Amino acid sequence: MEATIEVVGVRKRFGGTTALDGMSFTVTPGQVTGFVGPNGAGKSTTMRVILDLDSADAGHAHVGGRPYRELRRPLEHVGSLLDAGALQPSRSARNHLRWLAHSQGLPASRVEEVIHLTGIASAARRRAGGFSLGMRQRLGIAAALLGDPPVLMLDEPFNGMDPEGIVWMRTFLRQKAAEGRAVLVSSHLMSELQDTADHLLVVGRGRVIADTSVAALIAAASGDRVCLRTTARTPAMTVLAAAGATVAATGADSLTVSGLAAAGVVAALNANDVPFTEVSPHRASLEEAYMELTREAVEFRAAGS
Amino acid sequence: MSALHAEWTKAWTVPGTAWLLAGVVTLTPLLGVLAASSMAEGGDPARTSLLGVTLGQAAVVGLAVATVSGEYGTGMIRTTLTAVPRRLAVLRAKAFLVCMLTVAGGTAAVGASVAAGDALLPEGLSIAQGPVLRAAVGSVLYLALVGLLGVGVAALVRDAATAVGLVLGLLFLTPIVASLVSDPDWRERLLEWSPMTAGLAVQATVDLGSQPIGPWQGLGVLAAWASAALLAGAAALRLRDAS
Repeated sequence: MEATIEVVGVRKRFGGTTALDGMSFTVTPGQVTGFVGPNGAGKSTTMRVILDLDSADAGHAHVGGRPYRELRRPLEHVGSLLDAGALQPSRSARNHLRWLAHSQGLPASRVEEVIHLTGIASAARRRAGGFSLGMRQRLGIAAALLGDPPVLMLDEPFNGMDPEGIVWMRTFLRQKAAEGRAVLVSSHLMSELQDTADHLLVVGRGRVIADTSVAALIAAASGDRVCLRTTARTPAMTVLAAAGATVAATGADSLTVSGLAAAGVVAALNANDVPFTEVSPHRASLEEAYMELTREAVEFRAAGS
Repeated sequence: MSALHAEWTKAWTVPGTAWLLAGVVTLTPLLGVLAASSMAEGGDPARTSLLGVTLGQAAVVGLAVATVSGEYGTGMIRTTLTAVPRRLAVLRAKAFLVCMLTVAGGTAAVGASVAAGDALLPEGLSIAQGPVLRAAVGSVLYLALVGLLGVGVAALVRDAATAVGLVLGLLFLTPIVASLVSDPDWRERLLEWSPMTAGLAVQATVDLGSQPIGPWQGLGVLAAWASAALLAGAAALRLRDAS
């Protein structure tokens, strides 16, 4: 059985509020899976159900084919960081990692290893409660790495990190995926995952709206549009409209063309001696793709209810 | 075993544990010394020397509640349950740890109290006498059971202030409530079922007939309270979401 996270039809209500409404997905090893959606979409609750911190009303979540509660040394199966503040503030970082290591029967040498891997050696003797959020995130990552697990699950790990920390976190996530681990990372900001995630689970209102690769999502949102850069904006618009394209001005010297492929755009402009400096396929940003997707989902829901 | 090892490491990497244990070890004989030096003729020498247990138990309650509720206050419980998802194993480890610490601290506290009583009381106090030995061992067990009561109640209600209030209220208020009841049968019954009054009957060495309950039966009443609290705490921990 390959080590992955598998969530099947999980439902969870808190009082009158539905937090999870049939959440289902599988996280594949060897890639970074982004878990994105607006705040309140159910990302954190899903992770808590996976770790058996919250019980599901229906459905199930498995790690490596088994419920989390059945794992004897769980930190060797999945390393998780849900809340960097979930520690005793008066305990030092090293002692926090020591009790965690003892709970898994891991040697003290492993504590020193993860302290160095995450770059918190100089602060290891200090009270964890005095750490900045970025440092606490690193301590949380150190805890997640203790058992050298094949699966990593991190909730909003970029929160509170300085630019240097964000670069470090991205490199770290890419590296863990390259080692063949399954990496699930949540974020409410798509931009944070733009250059990090390979695969995306977009969630809204307690379920998965899109389960797709980043490349496919961007391609779908980009459509067959073409970006055109030209100093002769008005003649270009006339020529292209005559050729059957829909043209929109996006700047003083730039146009977005749809309904005509790049080759057709070039041919039409050349035939009419309209000068241009650049023709390129339009590439939507992940943010745009995400906005489009979640907007559709919201509209669909509004129409359906 | 690894769950207990983790709890052991946790206990000694926060300052509170050592302070609360020091509280048990110092407060208990301190009150005993005061009582023994002012004791009138004809009292119960063992009970007088061990009077400090009533004070030391407050520190034991603090220790027990801190072990459980301390984690709910900080969110640490989520990390604990992520490391040890078998929740009953977590409660077992915490209960065992509190027991170990209380028996260790309680033995030192009770030993010091008996030694002080022997030095201060005109008639002395010898642990070699059967009833005195029973009172001393029983006092240590009493403290351990109070610790378990604290662990169970804290697992049930989670919040530290609520847990301390409930346990201390149960211990100290039931005898006061009983004294306010005018019906003698009910007063007797309340004292029999009050965890502190019944539990401390184990300290009596003279005039056992005037006690509301026998020494070991009394400790049994406290054990019943502690068991009920632990069962309720275990059910709550098992069934409720982590925090």
